[in-house]
Amino acid sequence: MTQKSSGFFNWINDRLPIVNTYERHLSKHPVPKKVNFWYMFGALASVVLIIQIVSGIWLMFGYENTEEGAFASIEYIMRDIEYGWVIRYMHTTGASMFFAVVYLHMFRGLLYGSYHKPRELVWVFGMTIYLVMMAEGFLGYVLPYGQMSYWGAQVIISLFGAIPYIGESLEIWVRGDYYISGATISRFFALHVVALPLILIALVFMHLVALHEVGAGNPEGVDIEKHLDEDGVPLDSVPFFPYKVLNALVAIGIFGIVFSIIMFFFPEGGGYMLELANFEEANPLSTPEHIAPVWYYSPYYAMLRAVPDKLGGLVVMGAAIAILFVVPWLDRSKAASIRYKGILSKIAMTIFIISWLMLAWLGTVPVTALRTTLSIIGTIIYFAFFLLMPIYTSIEKTKPVPERL
Amino acid sequence: MKKFLLVAFLFIGTHEAFAAGGAPCGDYGECDSFKPELNNIESLQLGALTFINHCYGCHSLKYSRWGRIAKDLDIPEEIFSDNLVFGANVKLGDRMTGSMEPAVSETWFGIAPPDLTLVTRLHGSDWVYTYLRTFYEDSSKPYGVNNMVYPGAAMPNVLASMQGQQILSCKDVPLIASNGGVRRDEMGNDITEEKCGYLKTVQGSGTLSVQEFDEVIYNLVNFMTYVGEPSRSDRERMGWYAILFFVVFTALAYLLFREYQKDYH
Repeated sequence: MTQKSSGFFNWINDRLPIVNTYERHLSKHPVPKKVNFWYMFGALASVVLIIQIVSGIWLMFGYENTEEGAFASIEYIMRDIEYGWVIRYMHTTGASMFFAVVYLHMFRGLLYGSYHKPRELVWVFGMTIYLVMMAEGFLGYVLPYGQMSYWGAQVIISLFGAIPYIGESLEIWVRGDYYISGATISRFFALHVVALPLILIALVFMHLVALHEVGAGNPEGVDIEKHLDEDGVPLDSVPFFPYKVLNALVAIGIFGIVFSIIMFFFPEGGGYMLELANFEEANPLSTPEHIAPVWYYSPYYAMLRAVPDKLGGLVVMGAAIAILFVVPWLDRSKAASIRYKGILSKIAMTIFIISWLMLAWLGTVPVTALRTTLSIIGTIIYFAFFLLMPIYTSIEKTKPVPERL
Repeated sequence: MKKFLLVAFLFIGTHEAFAAGGAPCGDYGECDSFKPELNNIESLQLGALTFINHCYGCHSLKYSRWGRIAKDLDIPEEIFSDNLVFGANVKLGDRMTGSMEPAVSETWFGIAPPDLTLVTRLHGSDWVYTYLRTFYEDSSKPYGVNNMVYPGAAMPNVLASMQGQQILSCKDVPLIASNGGVRRDEMGNDITEEKCGYLKTVQGSGTLSVQEFDEVIYNLVNFMTYVGEPSRSDRERMGWYAILFFVVFTALAYLLFREYQKDYH
């Protein structure tokens, strides 16, 4: 800031590091000058987080967290509150888009080795965010108290029961009752709107602080810190403001178009975002023909079903998420980016993508013998991709990584 | 490798075709398609009339309010109150909670008739449109009718006086040869076989023709689609403005981005 700043501003700035923070994290924060569209999903995820928080607060104005009133209050929001339907569809579309951009963001990390030294902690914080998001999404899905809310919750909560010794008590403790009831709804409500969002915001903060400490990566996997100018700023970087903000604005515009198309024209997402069975109030006496999760859990649900034993399924599903946390230590490649990795990594990545998408589809359809076999194959490929990573990344021949971006 | 993949996909593909199993509209197979016209006020008004006269006696629309329907369907409140609103003490702001006590109806029908506010969202409008047109006479059932979409439905064919008697009949259908064409005998005549399970209306038994009856059901389901999501036509109209806004936003952001990018390229 210049000397022209008012005395009041200086008074504040002497006590609160406004200028410092602004310069460090925005106006002077150096970011790699050459990145591609894959690097936009982090910014988009924070946009969706804000959408979810704001629309969530507005939904709470009309939502009733009781067994008798929950379902009807959603219809009250949809019909009787002016533009309540806008708020509600924004939140339901936002939930799916949150997972969509986070999956693409995570995939970017895998593709360009964003977890490579020194960004291991950035990745670990990111994975923790993903884990909390999964819990947050599940809790939120129970709140409208439709048939799929009820039976989905039934399936997921009963998984706790599979844990030896403490399982049964744990199940009751989570539900707050012997069966899913008003007690379950009100505690899920409290967790969904207060506890987990607080944790989520704290984790996003840590994710960004850690990122700004080590600097953002790039699709070439080049270490831009190696070549600095006389002020210690990387030569291959540009300041975040205004250059990368403008980048993000274009991305937000395109994202807004996609978001609007889904929200205004396909809010049910063909039954994958809002499941049609959820338009019927929860009925403990009638089990739906086919219980399926919303699309963003389906790969892990397919893994759960692939194992015939309940506890085994739970362990496999947990391990599938847990293994993502240690990816920074599984990848032994000298090159971070897939562009300079060897052929083995490229083949492994391709097979992994295909099998993950197959699992995502399998998780949404009813089981048959063949589909169970495919789920088992998909699960094995999923784990093989990670467990064999130390081997194929160390034996393959990588291409030399350039010095400059 | 390519051959292996091809075989694998073919195998999974044919398996999936069989795994699909149960048709969406039960014994009827694929549902008849239904395209709602939510801006066709006349159709919605006629549908509302049919619903209130023939369905509302048993089925509630408990998430919807009387006044909202009058307003959305351009029906003056006075005409609406005098002709459509059921019950003397009902105010236009009230919810359409039905005129039957669920406990009473349960003893009558064995099951309380479900609330229908969201039925088109739960099953889809196609399903409801097909269901209402596929009742047929079946003396083994308590109401003398059965339904092809939902066999064993505990509901009488309320609109039978309009539709007339609908029965299951048999007809001769041409045999299809393995090459996809119709099989013919040596004389060149089509070979046919008798197949059953086709719906047929007994002519002159109802007050409406098949087309007229289909139109009544169309309007009814159109109204029910509206009630399922009264804001839907607003939603689709507003959507275009939202998209337009983001298209302009993206264009401006891109121009600015391109200008600034010159600094470092």
